[in-house]
Amino acid sequence: MAKMTLEELRNLREAKKKEMTQRDGNDKSAQIIIGMGTCGIAAGAKEAFDAFLDELGNHNINDTRITQTGCMGLCFSEPTVEVDVPDMPRVIYGNVDAGVARRIVREHIIGKALVSDHIFDKPAADIIK
Amino acid sequence: MHATICDLITDLVQNSFEADATEITLSVKETEKNLNVVIADNGKGMSAETLEKAKDPFYSDGRKHKHRKVGLGLPFLFQTAEMTGGTAAIESEEGIGTTVSFDLDPANVDLPMFGNFTTAAVTLMTYGFNGNLKIEHSVNGRGYEISRKELREALGDLNELESLTLLKEFIKGNEEDILDF
Repeated sequence: MAKMTLEELRNLREAKKKEMTQRDGNDKSAQIIIGMGTCGIAAGAKEAFDAFLDELGNHNINDTRITQTGCMGLCFSEPTVEVDVPDMPRVIYGNVDAGVARRIVREHIIGKALVSDHIFDKPAADIIK
Repeated sequence: MHATICDLITDLVQNSFEADATEITLSVKETEKNLNVVIADNGKGMSAETLEKAKDPFYSDGRKHKHRKVGLGLPFLFQTAEMTGGTAAIESEEGIGTTVSFDLDPANVDLPMFGNFTTAAVTLMTYGFNGNLKIEHSVNGRGYEISRKELREALGDLNELESLTLLKEFIKGNEEDILDF
């Protein structure tokens, strides 16, 4: 990858935006929230982050947001990831390594089916206010 | 300790996010003989008493998770420095901000691997934080500088996939430029 200037970065973004608006205007986007606390980082949340980015890119899924949060209180099952796909239940997944992250993209976000063997339903009770 | 220096850096910069800082600077200077990292913020800071306690892994101010009694970020730093013959320091003043700095020996066999700086920088730039974060990274004197404010102006919402992908390419390009030299 050649080094880009900020101006080149801005132009690329504008070009991509134009491409997006020319496609169908589906405003319902999926959201992926990655637990990036000390526990998440130690368990490999950044590898999961990279895998999500790569797998979504491979499947040309652009209408997705990836955000981060701190510890969800499930330190024993890090990396934890919350996935919110329109018209599907919000799910918290545990032990999301790079392989599971790729499965979540293929099975949950594209296939609209839950990745049942990695589900946690909600954050731990003492974390919920 | 953390598995990589980049994990440690990510963890420490997050402390600045949580201290309500509006300006944060992360400076990473690598040479063959030394790894120097400085994280400076203008967040709420700590009293001398709290600062001492923050070095204890079994201390947490209880505001984030009131039933949890651990805080491992800073203790991981001091542990890493102590176990590898490096130095680490933290200075803080209430209402003014906090500066964490450390120098480590890249040749020490016990030092964790440096890790993936591109991903660390992408995750830090796109963490839920509204202030400005400036990242400076140099290897043997050749470096680059990026700021969240400039990236926001160029890319808009940084958490959208298109922005994230371009941001990663942008940072990777800068990283390769200083590493290939």
